[in-house]
Amino acid sequence: MSDTRTELQSIFHSVFGEDDLVLKDEITAKDIDGWDSMMTINLMIAIEKRFKVKFAAAELANIKAEGQNIGTLVALIDKKAAGQR
Amino acid sequence: MSSAQESQSNPTAELNSAIEGFLASPGDPSAFKRLSGVVKKSIEAGRFDEAADVIRLAALPSLDYTSVQQLNRLFLRCRGRCAASAHRVRLAVLSSFTSTQLVEMIELFLFAAGVDLELYEAEFGVFRQEILDPDSELYRFNPKAVFIATTWRDLTQVPGMDESIQSIGQRVAGEQAQWSALWQTVHERLGCQVLQNNFDRPAWGALGNHEMRHAASMGRFIAQVNQSFQTSAPPYVTIHDLDELSAVVGRSVWNDERFFHHAKLPCAPECLVEYAHSVASLLLAQSGLSKKCLVLDLDNTLWGGVIGDDGLGGIRLGQGDPEGEAFLSFQRYVLKLRQRGVILAVCSKNTDSIAREAFEKHPEMVLKLSDISCFIANWNDKAANIRSIAQQLNIGLNSLVFVDDNPAERAIIRQLVPEVAVPEVSTDPLDFINALEQRRYFQVVGLGKEDLQRTEMYLANAERQAIETSTENLGEFLKSLQMVATVGPISEFTLERSAQLINKSNQFNLTTIRRSTAEVLALSKDPGWITRTVSLADRFGDNGLISVLLARIDGDALEIDTWLMSCRVLKRNVEHLLLNLVCEATADRGLRIVRGRYVPTAKNALVKDHYPSLGFTLVKAGMQGECTYELELAGRIPFETFIDLKEHS
Repeated sequence: MSDTRTELQSIFHSVFGEDDLVLKDEITAKDIDGWDSMMTINLMIAIEKRFKVKFAAAELANIKAEGQNIGTLVALIDKKAAGQR
Repeated sequence: MSSAQESQSNPTAELNSAIEGFLASPGDPSAFKRLSGVVKKSIEAGRFDEAADVIRLAALPSLDYTSVQQLNRLFLRCRGRCAASAHRVRLAVLSSFTSTQLVEMIELFLFAAGVDLELYEAEFGVFRQEILDPDSELYRFNPKAVFIATTWRDLTQVPGMDESIQSIGQRVAGEQAQWSALWQTVHERLGCQVLQNNFDRPAWGALGNHEMRHAASMGRFIAQVNQSFQTSAPPYVTIHDLDELSAVVGRSVWNDERFFHHAKLPCAPECLVEYAHSVASLLLAQSGLSKKCLVLDLDNTLWGGVIGDDGLGGIRLGQGDPEGEAFLSFQRYVLKLRQRGVILAVCSKNTDSIAREAFEKHPEMVLKLSDISCFIANWNDKAANIRSIAQQLNIGLNSLVFVDDNPAERAIIRQLVPEVAVPEVSTDPLDFINALEQRRYFQVVGLGKEDLQRTEMYLANAERQAIETSTENLGEFLKSLQMVATVGPISEFTLERSAQLINKSNQFNLTTIRRSTAEVLALSKDPGWITRTVSLADRFGDNGLISVLLARIDGDALEIDTWLMSCRVLKRNVEHLLLNLVCEATADRGLRIVRGRYVPTAKNALVKDHYPSLGFTLVKAGMQGECTYELELAGRIPFETFIDLKEHS
């Protein structure tokens, strides 16, 4: 679980160009500067490549929705990675 | 601590090692991280030019999407702070999809090739309105090139499955007519070059294997429209072959509709990198910035083994052995490049006679000595030899691409002659082909007779030089060349080549004013202008079209706006002949004076005294060395030349 978050944090560093960003489960899209819809795309592409998963169109649209945060994103990645193994 | 000090005291070494590490494995995230780290350091230390040089080297079409985004962020921090590029492109992008990322990457690849972008990017989906409304932002921006970026979703005439062949034919014609009308409108209002995507195919085909056979299928319809684009596009339209690009990438990879539905991206985001590189290569080719010459190493590049050690029988080249066949494949590919006008040169550490013997005597050699326009085999360093090749061929260092299997030689050229493009290659000759294809160095937007004959012309030039040194009297020499010139106004046959020269001639170019094909076409039809081109043949061969002159009537004077000539025909009296004919045309129009200007650039010192040497008088010396000269027609005696005139209209 925490391995996924560490990997995810390094993806955030690459995508946002912010090397001091520390990911915690309760952080949401609103808490991160510059996380707009384009950044969601950029994140998804990097995550798909790193974790070898593929998000459904609906999941893509849902990443920034109300109630979603880093914790739910990590859980989603883990679930998809397990399902595809 | 000590290593930190070391890298501080020698940032260049740290940079170079990060670059070589990255180029050796561009897919390795840690190598990229190290590279972006040193670039950041340069930026933070205010060394923006240094950072820009590394960004240029790192901007490769093989990068993944996330790395390109990172590189682009670094580029944006340098933009405007590093030195301006040598060239500029003023481009409007009209797209039917979200073009932000694509355009950012196009700008990055242009920057990597030494071109700064001036951009107008319209909102997505309004390309028709932008073109049709004469008051749109597009026309206020007044671009030199317009990219109409479309996808298969923009087709409006897709047939139904039950339609007759006649009705489908009408639909194809109708589709073509719509696009032609848009191109024509843009062109008439802006006189600019249009870059138009053809249509990529969706990943699905409802008819399976029968897709391309059934007249009403989507795949067949797209193929017919694309065919129609290629045959009907006028010279001012360049068709960007998006369908081919998606096929090369692979349609199942190219199409990722999630991102169209989610963000209106035209293809899978990873493919935007190749897409942008392809578009950038066309913009570069239009600006005359495609590479011109391929410089090749010999041992382990054109054949396996070392000719000096292994001998003629020992090198691996030819049928029956996989390695020998791979080298044959590379040679065949190189020959194809030569046949379409890429100049070939050899730069090898070898004894000259031994290196040449392989070309002359090895039965399986595909490339012949006559294919090589400049052959240098010696034991000097390759950096000096490559400079000498550029000098002998009379082309810029930035026109050269260097292929060598030896990583040390590649690194040296990158460091000592950074203008030369040096693709990173493995030791597999088949990989040389991939690397050259992928970088799109020799991108083409049109192919003329001159392109097909270029290598012969460069070779004949070498022979001519031999005669020149053996002839004492210059007049005798010129007579012995049996030169025949064809001179006339710019016509549909000479338009493309004229525009090509206008956009790439640097040395014998009095004003270095660049113009698109469309602008040149407009001038040639304007009664207020006089245009002339000169083609020159001699007993060694046809040099093709080698000189262009554009002049504008201004009161009682004819003002020469553009006068350029290929340096292949220097000192052949072509300029004398052309001036004689221009003076005739000037007198015919009842004008009194011919006026000319010299505008100095970094490369045209050659023609600094062009006008005084032709008998013009200096009338104005402006700032920065710009000079205006005039020639009175009254009492002028025409120059004697040794050139026969074949046609003159």
